[in-house]
Amino acid sequence: MVTTDVAVKFTLNGIPMERDVPPNWTLLRFLRDGLGFTGTKCGCEIGECGACTVIFNGEAVNACLVLAPQIDGASIWTIEGVASSGRKLHPIQQAFVECDAVHCGFCSPGMVMSTVALLLHNRIPSNAVLKESLAGNLCRCTGYLQIIEAVRKAAESMDDMHLEKFRR
Amino acid sequence: MISVLEYLRPEKLDDALHIMGGGEHTPAAGGTDLVLQLRDGRPRKILDLERLGLDFIRNAGDIIEIGSLVTHAAIASNPLIAKSLPVLSRASSLVGSLQIRNRGTVGGNIVNASPCADTVPALLLYDAELVLKSSGGTRTVPLSQFVLGPYRTSLGPGEILHSIICRKAEVSTGWSYIKLGRRQAVNISRMTLATSIFMNGDGKIGSVRISAGSVFPTPSRIPRIERMLVGRTPSQELYRQAANIAADMMIKESGHRWSTPYKKPVLINLLTRALTEAQSKLIAGMVS
Ligand SMILES: Cc1cc2nc3c(=O)[nH]c(=O)nc-3n(C[C@H](O)[C@H](O)[C@H](O)COP(=O)(O)OP(=O)(O)OC[C@H]3O[C@@H](n4cnc5c(N)ncnc54)[C@H](O)[C@@H]3O)c2cc1C
Repeated sequence: MVTTDVAVKFTLNGIPMERDVPPNWTLLRFLRDGLGFTGTKCGCEIGECGACTVIFNGEAVNACLVLAPQIDGASIWTIEGVASSGRKLHPIQQAFVECDAVHCGFCSPGMVMSTVALLLHNRIPSNAVLKESLAGNLCRCTGYLQIIEAVRKAAESMDDMHLEKFRR
Repeated sequence: MISVLEYLRPEKLDDALHIMGGGEHTPAAGGTDLVLQLRDGRPRKILDLERLGLDFIRNAGDIIEIGSLVTHAAIASNPLIAKSLPVLSRASSLVGSLQIRNRGTVGGNIVNASPCADTVPALLLYDAELVLKSSGGTRTVPLSQFVLGPYRTSLGPGEILHSIICRKAEVSTGWSYIKLGRRQAVNISRMTLATSIFMNGDGKIGSVRISAGSVFPTPSRIPRIERMLVGRTPSQELYRQAANIAADMMIKESGHRWSTPYKKPVLINLLTRALTEAQSKLIAGMVS
């Protein structure tokens, strides 16, 4: 069966890129197998667990449900782009560490990306909004209380400038 | 394994309709249903509808026209829809998770025609009509005639859903939207009820609309109950009486099934609750 790759231009973690992607790949597969960005986790692959959450034009989406060619023209942020550079964690990541919100760690990249998306839109989320925004991310270690605490801590302590880059 | 032989994303509606006319392409909107369907491995050619400018919400007198590519997130956050189509606003806000609402569209929800599609019972309340386009022209079909059964619609070959035309709710209408499921978040509906009530000055029911998902063979309004309630003084007994008739209709139309002993009392209780809730919104002045 002949398939033709699709040329796409996009921005990944602030870096402009051009690639040819197979039309039968999802964004999740492209990130992991095409680019070697394995921080975005492959969990259920049916949009239920949120482990593959990335930011797509400023919104949280499941990378397992986006076809790779659909990223043409888009700006995508993954967990690899969250910390600025070197070894210093982003304040959201730091809050996850300080609140013991990381257990086995598999859901953490998705949780962090959902947190980024939430705080981009709502700097002081109510508890209801906070929970609703993380409802699409499952933690099988059930560390939800610590995760919610971490999001709250990040929301309260973080400077706005730490969110600026995700708007681009 | 996903098998996609070709992916096209035209920028003009005419080009898209021309390609669809070839009969080989599957349209893609947000992909939240489609990408799962692609996993069956059947080779397909994809036509992405995203760049056709179908993500509009138009306010025109007593109607609102919603482009098929408008996402659930956009519907749920739109103030005009919250005011004039409050049940749709609520229904979209309850779809899946934020990630799903950010990609999933109202058009995809309708065309996929799952019995649990949240927007369908809501849109039925507003007499939604679907604008369908193909290279041969445009036709308009009431939503009530579009869904033929689970995952079956009257969408013709080469046709796409362009937009949805809804009649605005009268001001000061009470409403309710009840989605029955096993959990609160990321919840696939087992039964859906949407109602709206308008009261006359004399305290009697002026008009009432009721629609149900996963009750009858297709999502549908219940005109018999609607007619029965008009002109009556609202009460719990009246609502329960109406709900009992709805339950009998369900068994008559959908047949006696393994789930009937569960569904019958559930429908009676939920419909009573749905009507009470709609009416209490009116009384509390919580009409949005
Ligand atoms: C985890 C998860 C949870 C979910 N929860 C819910 C829920 O709570 N409630 C609910 O109702 N749904 C739910 N869904 C289903 C889905 O998200 C919705 O039905 C969504 O609205 C589909 O829209 P889409 O844009 O993603 O459609 P797509 O997946 O792009 O398309 C769906 C189908 O419709 C066709 N199609 C799409 N747009 C058009 C058009 N304009 N013209 C012609 N054909 C078209 C496609 O060819 C395809 O067959 C859930 C899905 C997932 C994965």
